[in-house]
Amino acid sequence: MSTAPATATATAVSVQNVRKVYQRDSLQIKVLDGLNLEINQGEFLALMGPSGSGKTTLLNLIAGIDRATSGKVVVAGTDLGPLSEGELSKWRSRNIGFIFQFYNLIPVLNAVENVELPLLLTSLSGRERRERAMTALRIVGLEDRSKHYPRQLSGGQEQRVAIARAVVTDPNVLVADEPTGDLDHQSAEEILTLMETFNRDFHKTIVMVTHDPRAAARAHIQRHLDKGVLTDEVTWNG
Amino acid sequence: MKYAPLVLKHLRKNWIRTLSTVLAMAVCIFLICTLQTVVDAVNYGLSTGNASRLVVRHYVSLVFNIPNSYKARIAAIPGVKNITILTWFGGMYRGDMKYFFPNLAVEPERFLEIYPEIMLPEDQKQAWFHDARGCIIGRKLAEKWGWKVGDTFQLESFIPPYRVGKPFEFVVDGIYDTDEVKYPATDLTAMYFHYKYLWEAKGEKLDVGTYTVLIDDPKNAGRISKAIDAEFENSDTQTKTETEQAFRASFIAMAGNLALLLNGIGLAVAFTILLVTANTMSIAVRERQQEIGVLKTLGFPSGLVMGLILTEALLLGLLGGAIGLGLAGVAIHALPNMPFIGDVVRQFPGLGLSARIVSYGLGVALLLGLLAGFFPAMMAYRARITEVLRQV
Repeated sequence: MSTAPATATATAVSVQNVRKVYQRDSLQIKVLDGLNLEINQGEFLALMGPSGSGKTTLLNLIAGIDRATSGKVVVAGTDLGPLSEGELSKWRSRNIGFIFQFYNLIPVLNAVENVELPLLLTSLSGRERRERAMTALRIVGLEDRSKHYPRQLSGGQEQRVAIARAVVTDPNVLVADEPTGDLDHQSAEEILTLMETFNRDFHKTIVMVTHDPRAAARAHIQRHLDKGVLTDEVTWNG
Repeated sequence: MKYAPLVLKHLRKNWIRTLSTVLAMAVCIFLICTLQTVVDAVNYGLSTGNASRLVVRHYVSLVFNIPNSYKARIAAIPGVKNITILTWFGGMYRGDMKYFFPNLAVEPERFLEIYPEIMLPEDQKQAWFHDARGCIIGRKLAEKWGWKVGDTFQLESFIPPYRVGKPFEFVVDGIYDTDEVKYPATDLTAMYFHYKYLWEAKGEKLDVGTYTVLIDDPKNAGRISKAIDAEFENSDTQTKTETEQAFRASFIAMAGNLALLLNGIGLAVAFTILLVTANTMSIAVRERQQEIGVLKTLGFPSGLVMGLILTEALLLGLLGGAIGLGLAGVAIHALPNMPFIGDVVRQFPGLGLSARIVSYGLGVALLLGLLAGFFPAMMAYRARITEVLRQV
């Protein structure tokens, strides 16, 4: 995993005048409206806001799993708009690590196989894949649980495996959708500490959606979304 | 290969569902391959008729006999080299249909002249010619009942005109073999006896089931057939003359279109299994919407996700096909030894699971898997990440 320091001013995520409108039957639902956001390389940003404010939609656009209706999304130097579905998949596999609220581990695979999953898309050999997956598990402190299946792990442990899966390909950007939303306080603290570690020690750019002010307080910057628009309120932590 | 654990672990997760689907598929392939093997064996038997032999029968049906007097008139038609009576006796051994074997009344000398595939030692031939109660039996029939030359047995016909109030007694005068390379379709489970024996028992008032006519040249078969039928066109009993091959085909057709029936059964079973497997795969894919969303989020292309689902379906097909073929192999091996049906089956030479049937069975199994998995795989292909993850 790369530990080289990133240039402080490099832009990791650039969202320019983005609109997102969902079509539901005959209804048009405007979720994001002319949104602009810049996130520098190595920053840890928390997106907050009420339900339905468009946080997850914005996160999905940054992660390249949804497309903007208009505007431009540039992540890790790539304009995502012109990419085909296939190109977008390939780009995601190399540049994005996704952490879900409900972990979303594959139940039939054990911890190390789950972590290894994104590496199946690379040209690494089976041995190399296994070594990297074990390294990622070691970093999240679950090396001894590598053969355990998701049902044999606690919620906090599952989320740590999910984080290992998100970082195993050494992506530029980690996106996390309510990563502590399903965890008790203790586990949530452990997960946030782990994310801080990846941000601080491995210079990963992190974009985290959360409702929890305590989680948001662990990020460098807090931005607030309301009705599809970023408010002027910017909170700098630490 | 690197995706194999993912596919295999999914199949293993719901092993009861996997097993029941594989077994359903196996039964389907077993039935299709067994039925197809029987159809092939029947077709093979039909296709090996001697092109120089014609069969003359009643115009309406084989059930009706034709007069004895026709023999001389047929023999006089240009191109006819030889003629023999061949009458299906329908004799039951021990008075029970389950011990049935083909038995026919013939004129021994002419019969052996016209049927060179019936091979007998000269002494047995002569013994048969001179023994009114004598018969010859095929090697397999002799082995089945342990009969030797000189043994006697009784048969009683189930056909009313040949019932005389008591069984007919026969003496085994010869046991015939054949050249299986030259004449692979020869039935070695049959028995032939003197037509004269039957004729005398019926008080010399007996017609003929069929005549077999040997002609000078197969190319003349059409012309001679027409000439024979024309000879009796204005008679009370009109005839129908056809090549031995066509006759065998029509004989089989008496029991309906066997191939159509058997293939129809196979098709119906395959279609049912297709629906069952497609349903199973659809459920499996619906249950894994979340996983499909996760895989796509991780960067798995839609085509790869579709491929994984299809591979799973194909694997079900392959497993089912392999088990089905194994069962078919065992069944086809066992069929000739089964009571009653074994006697029927043994009449079809070349009964065995051929490479063509194995390929066909595996092909059907893979096609079923592919079709069953296609729509669920398309569902997975088209699944939008944001939609499927929202359903979780």
